[in-house]
Amino acid sequence: MHRLIITTGFVVFAAWSQASSAATTVTPTHPGRLLASNCFQCHGTDGRKGFEELAGKSSSSIYEEMKEMQAKTADKNIMNAHARGFSDSEIWLIADYFSKVAR
Amino acid sequence: MKRRQFVGLLGASALSLLLPGAAFAEDERKRGSTSTTSTTTSTTAVPADTGATGSVIVVGGGMAGATAAKFLRLWGGNKVQVTLVDQNATYSSNIMSNLVLNGSTTMSQLTYNYNTLKTVYGINFVQGSVVGIVPPVGSGTGSVRLADGRVLTCNKIILAPGIEFDAVPGLTPALQDNFVTHAWKAGAQTTKLAAQIRNMPAGGAFVMTIPAAPYRCPPGPYERACVVADYLKKNKPGSKVIVLDANPFIQAEKVGFERAFTVTHAGVIDYRPNQAVVSVAASTTGGKHAVTTNSATLYADVLNVIPSHKAGKIITDNPALANVGGRWAGVDVRSYESTAVPNVYVIGDSAASGQPKAGHIANQEAKLCADAITRALRGDLIPNPAPKTNSACYSPITADTASWLTVVYGYDAVNNKMVAVPGAGPIEAAAATQDNFNDMKKWFATLMADSFA
Repeated sequence: MHRLIITTGFVVFAAWSQASSAATTVTPTHPGRLLASNCFQCHGTDGRKGFEELAGKSSSSIYEEMKEMQAKTADKNIMNAHARGFSDSEIWLIADYFSKVAR
Repeated sequence: MKRRQFVGLLGASALSLLLPGAAFAEDERKRGSTSTTSTTTSTTAVPADTGATGSVIVVGGGMAGATAAKFLRLWGGNKVQVTLVDQNATYSSNIMSNLVLNGSTTMSQLTYNYNTLKTVYGINFVQGSVVGIVPPVGSGTGSVRLADGRVLTCNKIILAPGIEFDAVPGLTPALQDNFVTHAWKAGAQTTKLAAQIRNMPAGGAFVMTIPAAPYRCPPGPYERACVVADYLKKNKPGSKVIVLDANPFIQAEKVGFERAFTVTHAGVIDYRPNQAVVSVAASTTGGKHAVTTNSATLYADVLNVIPSHKAGKIITDNPALANVGGRWAGVDVRSYESTAVPNVYVIGDSAASGQPKAGHIANQEAKLCADAITRALRGDLIPNPAPKTNSACYSPITADTASWLTVVYGYDAVNNKMVAVPGAGPIEAAAATQDNFNDMKKWFATLMADSFA
């Protein structure tokens, strides 16, 4: 099941990469930027501070962490609750954004 | 901007819309005072050119306004000129200010300046009190007028004035400053209330009142009751905290605060719902204050009355903008543009967005607005199809434990409003813990840096 979800996510990610031809830098029009800014309050602007630095992390590691947190008890950790607010395709967009921010 | 152009614009459109601006236009013609065009510094933290060009004035330098100014530059680039206007040179954080009441922190430690926004992001900060606006028309220019006569011009106006209080029968501003505080706009009154609590006699009564929703920071008053109760237990044995809530039940973190009231602070906190304040009699001579509700009169050694709220004066002064009951600004939650006045955006506590009035989500509303304006200044007028926001906060329950609450909001296209994503809140912490208290400090520091640095 876990593998299946990840595969679906990669399809979304691949589709976007192809469409935008972005490679290594975050463009002003990255479709994940505004969604990812929901993370800045606790992880720092562009993921460069706070609880866990997200800038420059691989998109698959961010995606997998979010999926793990979604599956845990919501009221035990604020991120378990928070992760539930985003769909798979949204999580891939967010993860792709942070993976392209210079650390 | 040239004066002739300004007057011409007024003649074309704006005169009838917003009276303060219109009245000002007449004065302007007679006085012929100069208008001030904002200037913005180029900095390396800001992209040189994103394709967006224009000028934006942000009125109000709190959580919403400061964040909007920062992200307009970060996302809009050096060709988006941003002017941030606030009546004060610094911002006093409401978040964490209940911890001033138990001596854990001070207002000076909760004070933030605009230096980083100015030097790193190239934002033009203007200290002044805004008394009128003239909305920009189409891609043209509008203006903001300050009490000292200065006029600032721009293509977009963001209003983030926070909240105003309704008058409380029996209280004047001077009585609130010195005797019966609200301490709900953090500042000198917060420090005053802390001193009153410190000087309370053992066995005394601390009485606080909570206004009918909507008010800013839904868990905040209950958090205050907990922090004060915790302090009094340790320092003023036998004292009581009496909470008079105009609402029929606890408005946020109901499970956690009920546990705090009946277990953690059992015997100290006396919570009474459905208690609307009718009048207050303040003692100016050191005696007990009296507060009368719809069902009782109570006497207090320390009385803290949080008045009911409405949008900032710049909004309620303009009926077109205050189009939700004459008290709040209706906004399109895809951009935070006023539903009645194009090119004027309202973010934070003054907006009727269907979301909580609180700093963390105001920061996110500001980012959505900055993104929408940046795109509009690039010529992209298609609204964000699926905005998402999040609300999160930590509440101290004692001097070293805290709880938390979070909600993720998504867009309901049918009703054009933000609604909680199913399964994603409101969710509250299972328990108040020391770990949560430590996380609260980190959350606060990071949130403030995301907004002001």
